[in-house]
Amino acid sequence: MNFYAPFTLPFIIGTIILFIVLAWKYVSWFVALTHEDKRLVAKGVPSLATLRSVWEVVRESLLHVRIFRIDPRLGYMHMSLALGWFLLIAVGWIETMAYMGFAPVPLQGHVFFKYFAAQGVVTEHKPYFDFVMDLLLAFVLSGVALAWFKRFSSRSLGMRRATKHTTGDRLAMSFLWFIFPLRLVAESITVALYGGGSFLTGSCGSLLASIFGERLLSYAFEPAWWLYSIALGGFFVAMPFSRYMHIFTEIPLIFLRNYRLRPREEKGAIDYFEVQSCSRCGICIDPCQLQADLGIHDVQSVYFLRDRRYNMLKQSVANNCLMCGRCEAVCPVGINLNTLRLNSRALMRNIPNERRYGYFRDIDRSEGSGKVGYFAGCMTLLTPRTMSAMERIFEAVGDQVWWADRQGSVCCGRPLKLSGETDSAHKMMEFNRSLFHKHGITTLVTSCPICLKTFKEDYALEHIEVLHHSEYIERLIASGRLVLERGDVRYAYHDPCELGRGGGIYDAPRTVIEAVGELAEAEHNRRNALCCGSSLANTAITDGQQLKLASRVTDELEATGAATIVTSCPLCKKALQRTAKGGVRDLAEVVAEALPRK
Amino acid sequence: MRARKVVIIGGGVAGMQTALRLRALGEEPIIIEREAQLGGKVRNWYLLFPTFIPSADVVEPLMRAVKEQGIEVHLGCEVVQFDNHRVELADGERIDCDAVALCSGSTIFDARLKEEYGYGIYDNVYTSVDIERMMAEGRMPERSPRRVAILHCVGSRDEKVCQRHCSKVCCITGVKQAIELKKLYPKADVFNFYMDIRMFGPGYEELYHTAQRNYNVHFVRGRISEASPLMDGCIQIKAEDTLTGRPLRMSVDMLILLVGMRANDDNVRFAESAGLRLADSGFMRAADLFAGNVRSSREGIFYAGTITAPKSIGEVLNEGVVVADSIVDYLNKQEG
Repeated sequence: MNFYAPFTLPFIIGTIILFIVLAWKYVSWFVALTHEDKRLVAKGVPSLATLRSVWEVVRESLLHVRIFRIDPRLGYMHMSLALGWFLLIAVGWIETMAYMGFAPVPLQGHVFFKYFAAQGVVTEHKPYFDFVMDLLLAFVLSGVALAWFKRFSSRSLGMRRATKHTTGDRLAMSFLWFIFPLRLVAESITVALYGGGSFLTGSCGSLLASIFGERLLSYAFEPAWWLYSIALGGFFVAMPFSRYMHIFTEIPLIFLRNYRLRPREEKGAIDYFEVQSCSRCGICIDPCQLQADLGIHDVQSVYFLRDRRYNMLKQSVANNCLMCGRCEAVCPVGINLNTLRLNSRALMRNIPNERRYGYFRDIDRSEGSGKVGYFAGCMTLLTPRTMSAMERIFEAVGDQVWWADRQGSVCCGRPLKLSGETDSAHKMMEFNRSLFHKHGITTLVTSCPICLKTFKEDYALEHIEVLHHSEYIERLIASGRLVLERGDVRYAYHDPCELGRGGGIYDAPRTVIEAVGELAEAEHNRRNALCCGSSLANTAITDGQQLKLASRVTDELEATGAATIVTSCPLCKKALQRTAKGGVRDLAEVVAEALPRK
Repeated sequence: MRARKVVIIGGGVAGMQTALRLRALGEEPIIIEREAQLGGKVRNWYLLFPTFIPSADVVEPLMRAVKEQGIEVHLGCEVVQFDNHRVELADGERIDCDAVALCSGSTIFDARLKEEYGYGIYDNVYTSVDIERMMAEGRMPERSPRRVAILHCVGSRDEKVCQRHCSKVCCITGVKQAIELKKLYPKADVFNFYMDIRMFGPGYEELYHTAQRNYNVHFVRGRISEASPLMDGCIQIKAEDTLTGRPLRMSVDMLILLVGMRANDDNVRFAESAGLRLADSGFMRAADLFAGNVRSSREGIFYAGTITAPKSIGEVLNEGVVVADSIVDYLNKQEG
């Protein structure tokens, strides 16, 4: 049995190159993982995490469930290409086995089976395989057609704006788009000349025969298979260097993630898996407010990851991001976009200055004592109405409070971390951490979601529970310690990014609002909530641009008809106050007002 | 020649001066004032810089003259919309006229928006407007404060509250109030925290020097970043002395915020109804900033006073005369 033909060479060469590059990449990345990460992998492999990963690979790499949730049309497009192609290969394999038994068949024998079968390798004919393979080919071709259509009208597939691709990506994409139409042509010609085929290749074959005649088709037979092979080989060579690297990379990433490997604030080898798993689908573009409201089109996560991957990341791109997490929330691959952007900034900007922090010594300006500690944060100190409201709430429930920073203190460190100065940030974190431990508190309440996030994620506080004031107040209400008088005012609630998407706290502030009045929801809320625009993470946009972002948010909140906007972040409050027509209050303020009068 | 009707929106010093001058030129001015009496904001001031004359010395002669001249005045009336031939009031009345002078002034910046300074939250934080009223009514605290901080540029030159413009008169007001405080409390230390000292008018620079030389008023270049209350009712302020480059922390018995002038909210509505143009600051945009600075972009509509930008009282009074002349010119040309 002969499975060799000259036309298979482009395919064979392409495949060899693909596998060499992939092996080289994956092995070198894996070797570069930290010891800790390798230990996690060793621990994870024999665990349930492996089974979970297999299931996730099926769901996400083949079915694309997350994209279906974003838009069914987009989901179908991705699924038909991924699942369809996978099944073409898998069923093709079974088909070969059905004909040949378990005889050793080289790779190209499987891939170009129709060719070799027609060349008399097999004698019997199995029409049901023809039917299944035609069906799958039609399935994939429908995806290709949609992808092609999306290039011209992304909107009809649920995307307002699609990715602007590089030349390399366009080349790889062209190969990909040609593969399946060429396969159809090659198989149809084969069917026309040698029989077989089903509803698709069969009818296409008859059509071609009726137009060109068998004689002409027999001349086109070999060239058609050549073209198909060239398209495959070309795509395979381009694949590991283009966005299509994600096809394979997403699989090890899913496993590694289930083994609890995550990107950190310093760059690491795990980042390669994350960065190269980006398919540049561009789903992250639409939710980006910098894009939608400010017309900034080259900083979105898809472009950031691309630039970082090809070592052409500019500081201006890395810095121009609100880190609001709206893109992360929709990323179908679940890439840790904020962390990756953070560690890119750290590499560019982290210049620690030891002498800058000499003033930390003996700077404890805290007041009072108690099991409950309250850390206002810099922004709450600039919005003191929130702090005096908290004071009244503490007083009403009779909690003894240790005031960490009422007379000023050291920053929580997150603003520095967000701007990439991680080493300096850690100086502040260490200072505050020992301050909290020194004063023997068991609960740490803060009104600032920015502080909250860093306390939870970076501080590793022992025996101290960290709570946002919304959670603390919610508990007080639930336990009956805090009794409030409910009014009939309507409050429109704005979810702060760091509290909502950043900390997963959506319900506590809503429960609290409903205890004092009526809650109104903006069009974008919870996971989809808009950023107020004054994020500390963005050091690139101007004040006027921040204002523009804020006015979109206040417009939406005011459209609810609520008289007052309530938020639970001092920075959001300051930002929204600038464009709101009515009042903007912190959650604590509306609670303090609802305290029964003595 | 018949007297031509000119509606003057706003009965502050700009509006009154315009009306008086128009009357002197033989026209028929009609003043529409939102408040229950004429005089505008100047009526609430105590002594005026740089000469320390009582504000009443400026406002009262104007009010008296308006009365003596029998100028038609509508008090407690809001203008809903207008164009150059008709002004519509909130009570439904419509006044037909030949020209309109918009003299509705500006709005004092709401210091509560700079929450970090604690106005409306802590005791002992005042605005410069509060101090004028307290001085005028003799309600200043009897016990001498040890230290007073006067903060310049609250709601002026501040992008964070969307007020980029300079309010022009706060610097000299700060100097004036510092001297008044020193006269009242000779033992107190009075600090002015400023970004720039802009002494643009006659006698202002001299007063600034007098404040330092004769009254020992301190000037610190640097804005206060935040204020917090102390147990004893004092206010602790944090600032940076940007000349020495050192952070600074001080407890004061009084914190006075020099609030600026911002554009009226009405301006947007007026601009829409009358087809006028707004400047980026929200103030009205004059036809040009030179020969046409009291004319609007629409025929028959004129501006005087702080409707176009923050100004001192003297400048406003001058504009009242200029705008009246421009209106008469315009009316004469209309009649050919």
